[in-house]
Amino acid sequence: MAVVHDVIPPFQLFQPTTVDEAAELLEAHGDEAWVMAGGMDSFDWLKDRTKRTETVVELGQISELQSIRETGDGLEIGAMTTLTDIAESAVINERFGVLAKAAGLVASPQIRNQGTLGGNVSQDTRCAYYRLGWTCYRAGGNTCYADTPTAVNREHAILHASRCVAVSPSDTAPALVALDAQMVIRHGRRERVVAAADYFVGPNLDITRMTVLEPGDLLTSIRIPAKWSGARFYFEKVRDREVWDFPLVNVASAIRESGGRIEEARVVVGAVAARPLRLLAVEESLAGQLVNAQTVVRAGELAIEGARPLRFNGYKVPLMRNLVQRAVRGGPIAGTA
Amino acid sequence: MAQGDPQATSSEPKGVSRRTFIKGVIAGGVGVSSAAYLFRNSSLLTGRAARTGSVERLVTLNVNGQARRVDVAPHETLANTLRYKLGLTGTKLGCDRAECGSCTVLVDDVPRYSCSVLTHAVRTRSIQTVEGLAAADGTLHPVQQGVIEEQGFQCAYCMSGFLMSAVGFLKKNPNPTREELAHGVSGNLCRCQDYDKILTALERGAELSREVARG
Amino acid sequence: MGDNRLVGRNYTTPDLESKVRGRAKYAEDFRVDGMLYAKLLLSPLPHARVRSVDTSAAEAMPGVRAILRASDLPAPADIVTDLGERIPANPKGEQALSDEPLYAGEPVLAVAAVDEETAVAAIEAIKIDFEPLPFVVDPLVTLRPDGPNARIDGNCWGRPTGEPAAPIDVQELKWASVDFGEVDEGRLPEGPHQDEWSFGDLDAGFREATVVLDETFSTANNQHHVLETRSALAYWRNGKLFMHTGTQSAVQTVASIARWMRLDIEDVVLFTEYTGGGFGSRATGAVICTVPAVLAQMTGAPVMMRISREEEQYIGGIRPAIHGRVKAGFASDGRLLALDLFVVGENSAYEPQGDASFAGNIVSLLYQPGAMRSRATTVLTNTPPRRAQSQPGGMQGITIMEPVVSKAARRLGIDQVAIRRVNAPVGKAPFGPSFGGGARPYCTSAFLTEALDIGVELFDWETRRARSGQRNGSKVRGSGVSVSTFVAGSTGFDGLFVIKPDGRMYIKSGVGNLGTENFSDVHRVAAEMMGMPWERVEIAWGDTSQNLPWTCVSGGSQTTHAMTRAAHAAASDAIRKAQQIAARTLGGSPESYRVDNERISDGTRSMTLADVAGRALEFGGEYDGHELPDDINEFTTRSATALAGQGLMGVARDNYGVDGASFSFVAGFAEVEVDVETGDYRIVDYLAVGDSGTIIHPRSYGGQILGRSILGMGHALAQKTVYDQHYGLPLATRMYQSRPPTILDVPRNLQWEAVNLPDPETPVGARGIGEPPVAAGAAAVLNALSAALGDDMFRRSPVTLDNILMALENGRPMQEPLTAHI
Repeated sequence: MAVVHDVIPPFQLFQPTTVDEAAELLEAHGDEAWVMAGGMDSFDWLKDRTKRTETVVELGQISELQSIRETGDGLEIGAMTTLTDIAESAVINERFGVLAKAAGLVASPQIRNQGTLGGNVSQDTRCAYYRLGWTCYRAGGNTCYADTPTAVNREHAILHASRCVAVSPSDTAPALVALDAQMVIRHGRRERVVAAADYFVGPNLDITRMTVLEPGDLLTSIRIPAKWSGARFYFEKVRDREVWDFPLVNVASAIRESGGRIEEARVVVGAVAARPLRLLAVEESLAGQLVNAQTVVRAGELAIEGARPLRFNGYKVPLMRNLVQRAVRGGPIAGTA
Repeated sequence: MAQGDPQATSSEPKGVSRRTFIKGVIAGGVGVSSAAYLFRNSSLLTGRAARTGSVERLVTLNVNGQARRVDVAPHETLANTLRYKLGLTGTKLGCDRAECGSCTVLVDDVPRYSCSVLTHAVRTRSIQTVEGLAAADGTLHPVQQGVIEEQGFQCAYCMSGFLMSAVGFLKKNPNPTREELAHGVSGNLCRCQDYDKILTALERGAELSREVARG
Repeated sequence: MGDNRLVGRNYTTPDLESKVRGRAKYAEDFRVDGMLYAKLLLSPLPHARVRSVDTSAAEAMPGVRAILRASDLPAPADIVTDLGERIPANPKGEQALSDEPLYAGEPVLAVAAVDEETAVAAIEAIKIDFEPLPFVVDPLVTLRPDGPNARIDGNCWGRPTGEPAAPIDVQELKWASVDFGEVDEGRLPEGPHQDEWSFGDLDAGFREATVVLDETFSTANNQHHVLETRSALAYWRNGKLFMHTGTQSAVQTVASIARWMRLDIEDVVLFTEYTGGGFGSRATGAVICTVPAVLAQMTGAPVMMRISREEEQYIGGIRPAIHGRVKAGFASDGRLLALDLFVVGENSAYEPQGDASFAGNIVSLLYQPGAMRSRATTVLTNTPPRRAQSQPGGMQGITIMEPVVSKAARRLGIDQVAIRRVNAPVGKAPFGPSFGGGARPYCTSAFLTEALDIGVELFDWETRRARSGQRNGSKVRGSGVSVSTFVAGSTGFDGLFVIKPDGRMYIKSGVGNLGTENFSDVHRVAAEMMGMPWERVEIAWGDTSQNLPWTCVSGGSQTTHAMTRAAHAAASDAIRKAQQIAARTLGGSPESYRVDNERISDGTRSMTLADVAGRALEFGGEYDGHELPDDINEFTTRSATALAGQGLMGVARDNYGVDGASFSFVAGFAEVEVDVETGDYRIVDYLAVGDSGTIIHPRSYGGQILGRSILGMGHALAQKTVYDQHYGLPLATRMYQSRPPTILDVPRNLQWEAVNLPDPETPVGARGIGEPPVAAGAAAVLNALSAALGDDMFRRSPVTLDNILMALENGRPMQEPLTAHI
């Protein structure tokens, strides 16, 4: 067993220029094809030689996938739209600010300049063991290295773990779930639409995948319905460094208020489970409530019910609670100055 | 004999025809030059002919305003093409994993980590590296001039990446506050941690850029 | 000296334009015809023995030229110091390759091929069988009676014995179970140790004390992560080895390479014009460069070895973590009466670092305890090599000590600045133990109290202190101060330059160009003394075939001190010669002549230095270098001999005396703002005030003092190693996991100031500054956090948001106190 984690192994490269061409290619190559969007996730695997491919289908030449357009009901965003374009988009900032904010906090400027919305929501988990190529459940093996008494699992899941304790690392995913987004997927000539909340797969359903995408599938666009346009949004990402780092916990929320009362809410937390978690119990508790200290505290408590910390990630419990409180409150505890 | 020239004993690598070596630009400076590259189109590597639909290897890249004809493998990154095939070693490899910024170049005026860009993905775009900042007559770009005036950077391994990030950022934000400028170049790491002096130098560069723009 | 003043002024260094144009070539930027590429096979196990290697498939691959094993490398030669002392080579020390890898990631073998893809494919085709051996990655685990050892023969290094000294050897050090009694409460056990020294009456000090504290604090392991990895290009020509590689020191690295390769020093030529950072990790090169050197020998071709970032994080160096137990007794006015320091340092299985032992020395100088005992132990683990990192030992010792001082101040109701001021070293302050019962050694000078006073003003300490701990919504601010010190000068090196008849001054610089600008800055002294405008000066650096003088190691902050002295000595030599030449040529007495403005004059008679140079050639002898002083190093003698007959030569050894050891000091002030809902915090403001004698080049000084402050901040904020102890394997293998600070993690406007009082023991008055800022950066932030949140919120660094949040939630620190690599 030799060890070297450098130099990308050769592959052949396809660069379709239309969605039809891409869908055809992916259907034809099946699980041999590696879909490359911005490449930020792909290069890590390929350069480490931990995962390999002989066939890469690079989507960057498909201009029809890079667009933000207003539809009759909201927006349709091409999956290859860069995170920078989303963060700077006037219409997204105006109507769906939570997504712009989330996109603007991903990684670093250069990564946002080429990372895409589709790539960001579909990215693989960042569990250190998994990324190092250890043969865990997610890699097709039969154990989890992160959930042991000696493992260092500071960044792992506190909720809905099922043999695997990896988390969803995306910042835009919780925002999309909060916006009731719809994911449009092509397979060959067929198209299907999946609600954002259903796009992500937990280990109880399929321990080897983060999303519902199967070989041959192509995520083409993300539809944001008008429903939450102009709502009171909140997004916060908590991480160690201010650049590059993945979220330790993030929260995205959309709240519709009227006369001081909450009509309806979406509260979604990322990096605490393998999928972005829509907190239904919290949302139910908010309906019809005034935004006051009681409501805020109750939301936080409900959010963390059932949380099961590991040896090193206990902080995620109060952190998740406090972020949910902030989302409901609309910000940090206010000061006087 | 120029310093650094080796003994002339290199034997011909087996199994590769001369035709597949493409001579690039001889690197300037202390007299070493090279015709050897990181990647070769040898049968060893692919073992088969290119499949229908996969890319044509010989491309013409637009680099620093010049048309550069070069053989690019499908899996080749822009950093490798620039450094090893075009002799443009100003762009550095600090991590090769998009987390240090030393390899930053401008692709259509947008800062990108060249280590994480397939050359084929940007083969029709305009690419600018640090070597392309100065004018044809050698006059430094105002951002470079700002660095000179403020003695910016220490070991300077991160410098070309910072310069390209700054130039790209200033195109969209020509009059940033220091805070905005820091965010603009936040994707660049400096291990000498010269951040404070770097920002001062880039602020000066921004000021000089505005002066030039005013004419 | 009027208009010719160079020292203390800003200027553009001669390397800056090349750098800015992207023309500066670092090691891996060079390309050579026929070059082969070397890649490494790294050990996947923390400790193993190579049982068998089958390279047949790899060797059969077209394009594979050579495979290098550990047995192909020369065994390094003994070190011979300047004083002729022989330090025997350690047969168990770190080599470039190993058949018994002692850490995961250690290079085992290398392949040279026509390109990198072939080399890597060949590595994957090698069948290598490892026998797993016992391993350990936690120093306290190996100290347990039943704990595994990092090496077959033990878990610590013995002390040198015998005359002449035999190489140090591995021994075993175990503590008894009973020693570990307090470990679960977070108190560092104090078992048998290796080093101990003391002075004064410790018991009396504790008895007298108003406040006695017993604290345990741990620092983390931190990779150097220089941005340019230690790639190297090697080729041979006529029996000489030519090497392109980054290194902190140019001349001294030639000596290292010669020793590793068992060559004569004259048979090594090093090109190192530009190096992308060092921070102590490649003070005199890196032994991995022997891989391309030997491969180049085997293949008859130049060999380029590009080191990847992953490889760099293994072989590039790590600052050792230290566990410290501090028992300190303070008087009511804050004076430190008694200090009992016990430290356990972690090491790799290779060469021991002095960090744990040196921590006590540094602390003894900085806080001037009335009585002190320092006990230290360093144990081996199967983790990558530890290398000195900017302020080795001092950073850790001060980081462990500072929270104790802060806590004492709060208990006593004393201002944080005041308690450090009352304990600060002044003048020729003592440090460490006495040697053989005599007087204790002392520093040359210390202006730390001045630095603190300046800082209090500039930082508006009173205002910030007043608002520490005041909660405002979810935010609470805190301000902290820290003091710091480190060694800052060596002596005895050589200066060398020639003023030619063209009127220009050609200075030979053996200093490395790792980013400190010292390769140029120190020579401003000589140029100023010679009355030479800077435009007339040319500096040769970075190519050791250019006849460079024997130069200090660019490490330990010694270069500014050592090489300004050498420059001063060489310039003094040239001035003496020029005076004699002027007197012989124009008349008058030599002593009446002065050098200024490119001329030498006694007020009535004068001549240009260009003419002096011409005369030097006519007179020969010592004037033009045909006769040389007999106390310069033989390396300098060789260089100067080659330069003879070119003009007026200034060549001399720094023989200036020095009463005391040179140290520099920094006072650091930080204000942080903590978000109590997330535990996250940011550093709002930071000020570093330095005492390092005379400032040679203000901008580069500012870059050093702030840059190293930020290095320290990184140690407080988030940077560390992470290992899974069960497997002995690293988990933080990427920078987004090990977390070196980004530009957004530091204050937008950092400030610095310098006391700028000359050190009296050195002619130029300048001492180094590279290292003292580190601990101040780290500890000022930690102190600011405790000012914001109270004592006992954390007991190890870095302090990350999870630590703070859990401490706030639970009312006590929840970090595991003594577990390594978490």
